[in-house]
Amino acid sequence: MPHDICNPVEFNFICPLPNGLHARPASQLAEFANGFISDLSLTNSRNGITANLKSTLAVISADVREGDECSVLIRGSDEESAKKAIREYIARNLPNSDESLVGRASESAKGILPRALMSSKAQCRFGLAVSPGIGKGKAVVVSRMRLPQNIDEGAENPQKEERRIERALAALRDRIKSMLSRSMSPAEAGVLKAHLAIVEDVAFKDRIEELITGGRSAGQALVESGQFFTSLLQGSESEYIRDRAVDIQEICVRLLEEIYGDEFSTSAVELTEPSILVSETLAPQQLLGLDRQWLQGLVLEYAGTTSHAVILARSLGIPTVVGVKDAPVVIPQGQELVVDANRGFIFPNGTAAVLRFYERERRLLERRQLILTRNMRAPACTKDGRSLEVAANVSSRKEVASALANGAEGIGLFRTEMLFMGRDHAPSEEEQFAIYRDAACAAAPYSVIIRTIDIGGDKPIPHLNLPDESNPYLGYRGMRIYAEHRELFRTQLRAILRASAFGRIQIMAPMVSTLEEVLWLKSQIATLRDELRNQDISFDPATRIGIMIEVPSVAFILDQVCSEIDFFSIGTNDLSQYFLAVDRDNAKVAELSSVRHPSFLRFLKHIADGVHRNGKWVGMCGEMASDVRNLPILIALGLDEISAASSQVPILKETISRLSAQASEQLLSRLMACTKVEDVDAILESTHGDEAVQPLLDANLIAVESESRSKEEAIRELIDLLYVAGRTENPDRLEEVVWLREAVYSTGLGYGFAIPHCRSDAVKQNSVALLKLSNAIDWGSQDDKPVRTVILLAVRESDPNNGHMQVLAKLARKLMNEQFRDGLIRLENALDISEFLSRALEIPQQLKSTSTVGSGT
Amino acid sequence: MKIVAVTACPTGIAHTYMAAEQLEKTAKSLGHQIKVETQGAMGIENELSENEIRQAQVAIFAIDIEIEKRERFKQLKIIQVPVQEAIKNPVSVFTRIQG
Repeated sequence: MPHDICNPVEFNFICPLPNGLHARPASQLAEFANGFISDLSLTNSRNGITANLKSTLAVISADVREGDECSVLIRGSDEESAKKAIREYIARNLPNSDESLVGRASESAKGILPRALMSSKAQCRFGLAVSPGIGKGKAVVVSRMRLPQNIDEGAENPQKEERRIERALAALRDRIKSMLSRSMSPAEAGVLKAHLAIVEDVAFKDRIEELITGGRSAGQALVESGQFFTSLLQGSESEYIRDRAVDIQEICVRLLEEIYGDEFSTSAVELTEPSILVSETLAPQQLLGLDRQWLQGLVLEYAGTTSHAVILARSLGIPTVVGVKDAPVVIPQGQELVVDANRGFIFPNGTAAVLRFYERERRLLERRQLILTRNMRAPACTKDGRSLEVAANVSSRKEVASALANGAEGIGLFRTEMLFMGRDHAPSEEEQFAIYRDAACAAAPYSVIIRTIDIGGDKPIPHLNLPDESNPYLGYRGMRIYAEHRELFRTQLRAILRASAFGRIQIMAPMVSTLEEVLWLKSQIATLRDELRNQDISFDPATRIGIMIEVPSVAFILDQVCSEIDFFSIGTNDLSQYFLAVDRDNAKVAELSSVRHPSFLRFLKHIADGVHRNGKWVGMCGEMASDVRNLPILIALGLDEISAASSQVPILKETISRLSAQASEQLLSRLMACTKVEDVDAILESTHGDEAVQPLLDANLIAVESESRSKEEAIRELIDLLYVAGRTENPDRLEEVVWLREAVYSTGLGYGFAIPHCRSDAVKQNSVALLKLSNAIDWGSQDDKPVRTVILLAVRESDPNNGHMQVLAKLARKLMNEQFRDGLIRLENALDISEFLSRALEIPQQLKSTSTVGSGT
Repeated sequence: MKIVAVTACPTGIAHTYMAAEQLEKTAKSLGHQIKVETQGAMGIENELSENEIRQAQVAIFAIDIEIEKRERFKQLKIIQVPVQEAIKNPVSVFTRIQG
């Protein structure tokens, strides 16, 4: 398209980011924009603010929120290429530039104060828990970092003042960069990079220089610039952007420190013992400067839930409660404090009762963690014994270890595109070799399936100069580009083959549609193996070779392909899109694209059966495998492995253990017989109860020699038994309903027995828990006798199970029987008690086993 | 004596059945014939028929909450006690029948 140099080019976009264009995405966008010569400006049509696109601060100040329509104006010698590149950046990279840092907001609403704490009358303050955990330590009260109102200092000549600023900016830049060079979490790096972007921001520097030219001293110019940008950000309607004002202030204060040294020092806080930091608010670098060995918790009066301090606290796992009114004023320096950032409470006086409660809770959480991780480490297997490996999808070597820590049985998909993106040349063989080798070592004893570079279509790489296409999904992508970019592919393959000497690696090619491609792939690998052999470079000759099933054509040549390769992995995102001829990004047809469409389910069955008939291995690494709802389908298909986002691995494994392969197979036949996807979804929804019903009684719900000293502690201990056993996820709520019942009249039965009970969906499974106390405690019983045996009955409110209810009724009746009570009093061992109860209550086998379904018949 | 009874407690999973058990045991030891209907979490169990109610001389209600189908007992003498009393001191409940 011809254009006149006087007519700038322009394009529009709609902001896709849920938190708006705040510091991190804005700094990345500005960084990208700085790569062009043209003048670039962004106008937010909602508020009319125009900003220099090369300035992070200016972009932030434009207050661009999700859904805002913006126009970008480009004027200059490289305007056409700038337009194309920036447009592409906004379409493809911007939507992903706000990931990973914040993660799921884990802030919880105000918790329920546990009964033992309530009755201890300990002084308690409420706040918002933003980073979970429990911390205990001495209060270290620090005053907030504040920009001074004025710097009382006359300016010398502007050139000299400017040099002072230049030096300060350079020094701070170096300091942040050296912090960045240490190893740190993505959250820490993200925050520091955002700070670096402010230091390097053109609008920030322009503003300071302008003030200096107007006769201000360096310090005064900094103070006024800081105030200017702070008020700009604080004027934003988005909390997220308002939270960024702290960052500007910290940068300005740090720069003042560079200029004035100790004279303007905010003095680093030194911790020498377990400490809870109490402050009005906290700046990110202030937090990073604290000695984490001693930092046990944060209590802040003001801090946005999206502020960098909170993001960092979450990433560093520091228990944090914010919104605690007047915290720095009312909490005395040196006070022993408990921060309960699971519930949002602060106990300014660590009284004996409070400390005892949290000590018990600490042990409880340890027990629960132990049980969860124990189950997490076991291989995934259905309750009727069919195993289904659960692996993880990753994009970098760093993610491998955390995936395994989550219980992943290997890496089912190592995407390599990220190694090639966001840089101006491809990574070298050595660089890639180191990455693949590290990944293989970190995954041991499991394997890593490395997918060779999958680009084109939705994943462009600037340095490859791939052509623009009208229909990229059907075009030049995945394996199809390898022949032309042979050097790139060769380098990657060599790196992978060399890394195979260091661990279990499997090679997988994307977007294969014909047998010729498979044969070409094999020949390339064979050639490279010969080459390595000639060069005496070691590699594993048995490395398995596989392909993605993304193109439907492969499903019809399985017999031919199976004789050539070792394994397949189904990429459901592309496969369903090609199979149903639906562009998932096109809202008008997107609803046709469900992977649970009966036709697609039949297609998957055809593939899984076909591969297995030919004696090969088939997994799935698409989004379909990440959704627990699909698990019965995936189990029934008989897949050898599924690979999903690492965070999904624990829940997938847990759910698999509660499903039956046999029932899943019957379910899949029903689903494949459906005529529409709605019917499939409805059936899946209604059979959610296929999850095994757990027995009412279990030895792990019985505790003997309990050290509980009060009714409060005994009830809590019983509920904690349910919590550790995974029978409740909301122990505080369960405790509350038990106490609501207790308020009607005491459940002390007499004869030394008490039977607290409730009906509430806060319990996931109907349960009986039993406690034998070492010390008899008062329960307000009818016969005034203290209690030594406590039995908790917790029943679900919404889906009563008739069988369970009958057992409970029987238990209640039996408790009226002296012989039965004596039996319970006599027994001192959890297993014996469990045995005795089962026998006395004649619990039918089907209620003890895991096969009954809560039908309420 | 022929007695009918109904037990019902707030949660309906424990005291309802304990009271029923106590009433049945005590009636037997005192030589009475009794049928106890429970109104618990699973609704009405061991439901009293019209005929059984008609033949009974007295009804015992060991209840902490209002019960279902109370109108069935319109013609009958009713002894009403809290559930806890039936559990703790069932004999005295039966003494009140005589009185």
